[in-house]
Amino acid sequence: MRRYLLRRAGQSVVTLVLSTMVVFAGVRALPGDPARALAGEQNDPAQIAAIRAKYGLDDPIWVQYWHYLQNSLHGDFGTSVRTGIPVSDMLKSALPVTAELSVLAMGLAAVVGILAGIVAATRRGTVAEWLANGFALLGLSVPNFWLGLMAILWLAVSLELLPASGYVPFREDPGQNLQHMILPAVVLGTQLAAVIMRQTRSSMLDALETDYIRTARAKGLQERTVIWVHGLRNSLIVVITIVGLQLGALISGAVVTERIFALPGFGKLTVDAVFQRDYPVIQAVVLVTATAYIVINLLVDLLYSLIDPRIRVAGEAA
Amino acid sequence: MNAVTDTVPVEGIGEHGDRPRRGRLFRRLRRSPLAMAGLIVLCVAVLAALLAPVLAPYSPDHADFDAVFQPPGSPGHILGTDSLGRDILSRILYGARASLLVGLLSVVLALAVGVPLGLIAGFFSALDSVVSRFTDLVLAFPFLILAVGLAAIRGASLSNAALAIGIAQIPGIIRVTRSETLRLKSLDYVAAAVAEGATDLWVVVRHILPNATSVLIVQATVAIPAAILGEAVLSFLGLGIQPPSPSLGTMLSEAQQSISRAPWTAVIPGLAIMVLTLAFNLFGDGLRDALDPRGSRR
Amino acid sequence: MSNTRAALSAASLLLVTALAACSSVGSSSPSADRSEDVGSAAGDVKDGGTLTMALSAEPDFLDPTLAGSFYSRYVFNAMCEKLYDLNSDVRIVPQLAASMPTASDQGKTVTIKLRTGVKFADGTTMDASAVKTSLERDLNDPQSARVTELGPITSIDAPDASTVVIHLKTPFAPLTAALADRAGMVMSPTQLKKLGNKFGNDPVCVGPFKFSDRVPQNSITLVKDPNYYDADKVHLDKIVYRIITDSAIRAANLKSGDVQVADTVGTDDVSSIKSDSNLSMLESSSLGYQGITFNIGNTNGVGKPPVQVDAPYAKDPRIRQAFEYAVDREALVKTVFDGQFDTACGPVSPETEYTSPAVQKCRSYDPDKSKQLLQQAGVPVPYKLNMLVTNTPQTLQLAQALQAMVKDGGFELKLQPLEFTTLLEQQDEGKFQVLQLGWSGRVDPDANITNFIGTQGSLNVAGYSNPKVDNLLAQARETQDVAARAKLYGEVQTQTQKDNPLIYLYRQRNLTGISKDVSGVQVYADGIIRVAFAGYTK
Repeated sequence: MRRYLLRRAGQSVVTLVLSTMVVFAGVRALPGDPARALAGEQNDPAQIAAIRAKYGLDDPIWVQYWHYLQNSLHGDFGTSVRTGIPVSDMLKSALPVTAELSVLAMGLAAVVGILAGIVAATRRGTVAEWLANGFALLGLSVPNFWLGLMAILWLAVSLELLPASGYVPFREDPGQNLQHMILPAVVLGTQLAAVIMRQTRSSMLDALETDYIRTARAKGLQERTVIWVHGLRNSLIVVITIVGLQLGALISGAVVTERIFALPGFGKLTVDAVFQRDYPVIQAVVLVTATAYIVINLLVDLLYSLIDPRIRVAGEAA
Repeated sequence: MNAVTDTVPVEGIGEHGDRPRRGRLFRRLRRSPLAMAGLIVLCVAVLAALLAPVLAPYSPDHADFDAVFQPPGSPGHILGTDSLGRDILSRILYGARASLLVGLLSVVLALAVGVPLGLIAGFFSALDSVVSRFTDLVLAFPFLILAVGLAAIRGASLSNAALAIGIAQIPGIIRVTRSETLRLKSLDYVAAAVAEGATDLWVVVRHILPNATSVLIVQATVAIPAAILGEAVLSFLGLGIQPPSPSLGTMLSEAQQSISRAPWTAVIPGLAIMVLTLAFNLFGDGLRDALDPRGSRR
Repeated sequence: MSNTRAALSAASLLLVTALAACSSVGSSSPSADRSEDVGSAAGDVKDGGTLTMALSAEPDFLDPTLAGSFYSRYVFNAMCEKLYDLNSDVRIVPQLAASMPTASDQGKTVTIKLRTGVKFADGTTMDASAVKTSLERDLNDPQSARVTELGPITSIDAPDASTVVIHLKTPFAPLTAALADRAGMVMSPTQLKKLGNKFGNDPVCVGPFKFSDRVPQNSITLVKDPNYYDADKVHLDKIVYRIITDSAIRAANLKSGDVQVADTVGTDDVSSIKSDSNLSMLESSSLGYQGITFNIGNTNGVGKPPVQVDAPYAKDPRIRQAFEYAVDREALVKTVFDGQFDTACGPVSPETEYTSPAVQKCRSYDPDKSKQLLQQAGVPVPYKLNMLVTNTPQTLQLAQALQAMVKDGGFELKLQPLEFTTLLEQQDEGKFQVLQLGWSGRVDPDANITNFIGTQGSLNVAGYSNPKVDNLLAQARETQDVAARAKLYGEVQTQTQKDNPLIYLYRQRNLTGISKDVSGVQVYADGIIRVAFAGYTK
């Protein structure tokens, strides 16, 4: 077990370093340069030269990479070329937003998805089942940014039910914070809920028919116990897997959601940074994303192997 | 966007025996009204897209400055007009065509690269970790950075959108192919073929690939709608198909600024995307059920 | 079968959504009416409260020396006063200076008298040496964006605490206008010494408000400054600038009451804001322009000596004149901007004191004339041209409308949308035929013209060079006489019209949405939203 984890961890570090290198080189291969973009309307050649000198943009690429590596290990991610704000400050304010959005979205999706999946699997042939199936189909098919636009149009503007957008930090005012986050979380989580629902339903159906469930029933255990304990456990495995795999997609989904609801999150930071060629910010973003992805997948693997010993064994043989 | 990198193995299939042969498959399919409905809508959509030049009442970039923002139901414009007086129905037809094209291209790319890699990873365990690391690398990369990068280097366009989305889907295809290969590798008749001295290539092409096809087809029917949604997102962000070429995603992004004045310009393209993806998902569901060796109990 | 029902329920949900979306919005009225309103001083208002403004883009540096973004000026307006300012009649008036500058020695020496008894937000005194420090920083800091704005300054003296003397190599009339913008903002020398070029992270100037907090991508907060010399005229406690880049969402926030002021209202949102009883619009003409630039001589890069581009459109001015005849500016503005913007013939706004009939003259719509000229020039009709545009929604709308329009005039315009940063690079390197380009506009016409059409100007991406024009521009720069300058700019327009390197299409108007709960919000021609002396109505 420990050997397996260590090996996985080692592989992850390699992946991490590789991805930073790819981005480092890739982003500098893009046309357009940050100094010119910063100069914007004015286009003063002296100013542009000064910016390039300040950020070492004229140094050879391996020198730049070496500085970047050294600084990052000390926690210094540099300052934004565009605003002069330290990148670590930008990360500090953007990450909690996206983290909260993602957690809320995943939580909502998991709760709604699992419940709906269980309902669909156990209450077959009823109204509840077709509603659940209908929602799942729709959730999978609807473009979530369109859903967001429609939601804002209807709920916030016409009905004046919820605030239209913006963000209030949780520490400042939890009530306001949740009010602002609920709509984006629902929009972001819809597709995920649909996927979870269908997986849950499918694995519940599977589970309900397997031998050990039939044995449990035969032994006289209550229907409810059978469903909740055995069926649910199977679903959890599935949900955890999905959540781990969907993380990257969640971040991409978060970009559009954040843009629509004007949330100052990580996704928005990423896209803006690439558009403005804000190299220090882009590098930091990729580092964080890759790390998050790798860590979460490691955790998922760990949880997986804890819940289902069969998998752990198989994993060690792999 | 969630489903673009959907690597969850297709539900219901995985642990048990063989797939139904082709003939039985179609019979099963016909028994599901939903799958048929999905198939019919799909056929209609694809035909409409192919025949767009014939069916569309106007050219998609024919601007009529006197008929700007006509609501649906106006004379000459069943679905209304947009901010430049262009007929929405015509733009939807051409836009659907572009979306379907992106969907198809990206999935073809993903299959072309993903299937061989997945086969290799599943069959040759020595190369498995290399391929898996490569998969991890691509997955760890935020898809949008890739898309923005491509858009910046080569200019945003239909082909670049397809390229970006295709690349994002490769890991999913690799994983599914790999797990199918692993599963099939352990079956008796494959082992028998190997024992008889068949070369690796022969085994892969003759035994594994054909049996993996059904799973891959289902995966494709999941991937195409995801690609369509992906194109919509990219165009919405300005990274995909560029105006004046119509695409459902650009129609939505153009509609954004006038959403309070002319909501139909945003509602209708969104509904069109939904109908397309719904049709694919229905058909995909039906296909999956039909392929399920445990019979049509769902 | 359960799945059939699933599909049915899905379909009915679709229907409900569609109906809901359609019914949720008020009337979609056709083109809205226009009005002029720059806002007025605060009426009867109470003290206290926080005003929230939705900004359409994030400011870059909150440092007057380094700031390049237009939007930093909004924040500076409330916290960093300048030597001079603009008033509602688009005239320059003193702010931290006590009076208009006096020129002597044939315009090569400019003397400015300062207001006394003024303190920075950190309590230190604002005097002539502080002004000298700020100006020298603007001139000498390697990353300064103000150098070209300030002109040929040789040295600055502070003979006493309330007098600043600026020495110039040659007379430079646009100096006053430059001092009415970021170059004229006075920074606290104490804070400059403390933070150096990190000044922007915690700026200290003179202003009714002072910097409190900045959350990247999200908001900038200012609080009332008790050290301000007119602190009793300030009513609000706090101003929060919220960054909301999407225009529909900005409008939605205004309508829901989450913000009280919305910057750059989309032209399609104006009518719904006007019909809302709690909201109103402030509208005024801006100082900038949007137009089309032809690449005539930019082969080696902007700022380098021009080399003639070898293509018919670049060699024959008749083709460029034809293009202007092929464009119907009125229809363009009416269709794409719902009639909310103005057509523009030249770079000088008719609201400024430098306007003249000559500088507002241009060719009117005549597609037949366009075709005629093309035939005379001997090129195949339709004549193919490739135009670069940024891929923002409004620009793309404009470009597509243009494309459709110029067909009648015999042009086949192909569009190449590019991402902004890439476009900047291509435009500088001259890798284009036609470009859609605009300029946010400054008070002094020199700042709107010279860099663009003067030989080797820093923004002369057209690569245009005409010694007659250069001469006229130099004369206009060196005299302080407004009437003489207006006449000269008229002559410049007449000259450049012959060559037509730049076709001016339209001038944006400043469209600002405000809540009726606040009073005293003003927006002048420079487009900056002034909220420092506003307040909540009683």
